[in-house]
Amino acid sequence: MKKFLKPLEPLLDKGLNAAESFIHTHRKVNFFFGAVFEAFDGLIRNPKETAQSPPFIRHNYDVKRFMGAVLVALVCGWVLPAIYLYGWQCVVPKLIVSFIAGVFIADFLWVIIAREEHIAEGGFVTCLFIPAILPPQAPLWLIGLGAALAIIFRNILGGVGNNLVNPALFSRLFLTICFPAFLVTGYQMPLIGTQGIHTVPQGLDAVTHATPFTAFKTSGEVASYLSLLLGTTTGSLGETCRLALILAGLWLMKVKVANWRVPVSYLGSVFIFSIFFSLILGKAVAPPFFQLLSGGLILGAFFMATDPITTTYNQTAKWIFGAGCGFITVLIRDFTTLPEGVMYAILLMNLLAIPIQSLMVKIRYRL
Amino acid sequence: MKKVTMGFKGGFHLLDAYPLPFCTIIDEISADGTPGQFQFPVIGQKVEHVVVNLCPTEPWTLPNWVILKHKTGVFLSMLKEIKTSYFSDARFHLAINEKEDRAVEDAMNFASAEDWIEVAPLCAKYPQDDPVILTQVLLGMDVNFGQDIKSLGILVVDAQTVSAMHEQGIMKKVVNSRYIVLSGTGLRENEIIRAELGTSVEKILKNKIKDASACRVFVNGPLRGKEISDFSLKIDWSVNNIVVLEEKNRKILFPMFKADELAFTTSLLGELRRCVYCNFCDDICPVALEPALYYHSYIRGEKHKARLYHMEKCIECGLCSFICPSKLELLKVIRACKALDKHE
Repeated sequence: MKKFLKPLEPLLDKGLNAAESFIHTHRKVNFFFGAVFEAFDGLIRNPKETAQSPPFIRHNYDVKRFMGAVLVALVCGWVLPAIYLYGWQCVVPKLIVSFIAGVFIADFLWVIIAREEHIAEGGFVTCLFIPAILPPQAPLWLIGLGAALAIIFRNILGGVGNNLVNPALFSRLFLTICFPAFLVTGYQMPLIGTQGIHTVPQGLDAVTHATPFTAFKTSGEVASYLSLLLGTTTGSLGETCRLALILAGLWLMKVKVANWRVPVSYLGSVFIFSIFFSLILGKAVAPPFFQLLSGGLILGAFFMATDPITTTYNQTAKWIFGAGCGFITVLIRDFTTLPEGVMYAILLMNLLAIPIQSLMVKIRYRL
Repeated sequence: MKKVTMGFKGGFHLLDAYPLPFCTIIDEISADGTPGQFQFPVIGQKVEHVVVNLCPTEPWTLPNWVILKHKTGVFLSMLKEIKTSYFSDARFHLAINEKEDRAVEDAMNFASAEDWIEVAPLCAKYPQDDPVILTQVLLGMDVNFGQDIKSLGILVVDAQTVSAMHEQGIMKKVVNSRYIVLSGTGLRENEIIRAELGTSVEKILKNKIKDASACRVFVNGPLRGKEISDFSLKIDWSVNNIVVLEEKNRKILFPMFKADELAFTTSLLGELRRCVYCNFCDDICPVALEPALYYHSYIRGEKHKARLYHMEKCIECGLCSFICPSKLELLKVIRACKALDKHE
């Protein structure tokens, strides 16, 4: 790779410099394509800024690598297993539509209209979440709408770094309210063979089944833990193969992109509260291990709740944040008619993160 | 002897991240005028604790072997002579890099027979050798950054100062030169020189810099030191090292394949972004502060509020700015907030 690129380098460098100076000298070109060029340039070239105040050397770790690690973990955690379980005809078009609608349409238009933030790789992370948290049979337009909504919502609040709540989850909440029919049904069994390409635009035309949690609520049937772990049960596209998600999440924690406190406290509190309610109410509520392995809990705990921007900054407060997520999840799962509570729990705790953070700061510094 | 474990969380292994090989041949450089002289660090003050720092944590500082010459016993007997003649009622604390096994062993054997010295093998993690951290770890005393610790009766000296004290105080020789470490990507090679005090930086760096137009010069390291643009500056005893770094102020294609080329330069190595609350700064902070809080207070215009978050504990090691993936100037923000005191 290195050797292959070597002769191209001076040529490419010269071309990029020429393009850059052209864009900066023509105002109208800059208006429409400045941000696009900047984003592309930022991907393959190091910026020219140097340290002007001490320390004069900096660590070789930037936000691009931070987000890149999340992307890698997501691809290994849900994209590859989902391709195996549901077929590439189901997964790949959804990803393409999500990226086009979210990053290449919503983000580009926003940059041109608002002129405030350049396009960054954070959009890819959000758009990679959208197909994962929707049912396998969600039509492509729903995915595109969700991705665009997520990006627009994030940008309205001020872009990456100013998110109030997780944009992907917010977009799913919006879709749940507007199009409940698509989100309640549409869960097909995995590994039933690949469908023809013509079924892609409308969603795959297969028999739908209840998710393990809905099945438990209607008939009290508990799915086998092994099938939940390996992903051979129904569920949203990206949440079924929990084993891969756990491994990818552990890797993210190891490289310190995801803070280990949040998944540990989230999963721990779900486990503890579900034991507590099981002891009191017996078989009326879901057993602890079933709670841990069903629904979007693993995906939510390792990837959604750990989103650093929407959790608290204080490390102690992260324990409270995770425990709160777990408590609300168990409450919604056990005592409401809703089929799943992870989304609501994380969104609610995202909002509560701000008061928790300021409270912890007050306690720690005795203000 | 009890083994003191590292007394602080966070920190960063700079020695592993930037391994700098040095040539063992030491050049001598003389000053143009009459050379300056070594000043004895304390005169007429009561000293209760002497901390001897044999645990340099920055790769560009003087390595121990230059002074010790792998003979720790000789160095320690020198220390004993200094103690009996000057600091007869002081306790000595020897902070030593735990990875230098032979030196640690020699020092332990020596200390087992003496009751005035304590040996503490320490992890050479930056900023372990900071005076504030050293007094905290070795003496268990809380001191503030910038406080005059000599007035508390604590003297922190490095190996070179000890040997100079011995030569001048015991052997009655004139000490007018010191070792200086020259390193960095802007130089042809890393080397150690012995320069007379009062030599100008220009003379020291003559014929050693690769490309004078594309490099920057730092005295006492790029992390804690100062940048100098005036090369006629004359060196004194406080100059331990000079680091010359390449200034990569142009765009570099495919930085992901050129980590080695970019590593030890002044490049920011990334785009300036917003804070993403990644917690890297408070994980690495050696004094358990939360630097991002200062940044957020600062950009909201509440500099006074920033100082409520225990800012006086900050030792200005610069690790928060060093690690920040968003490349925020956290140390600059902290200094700006601290400077408010002086105007009031």
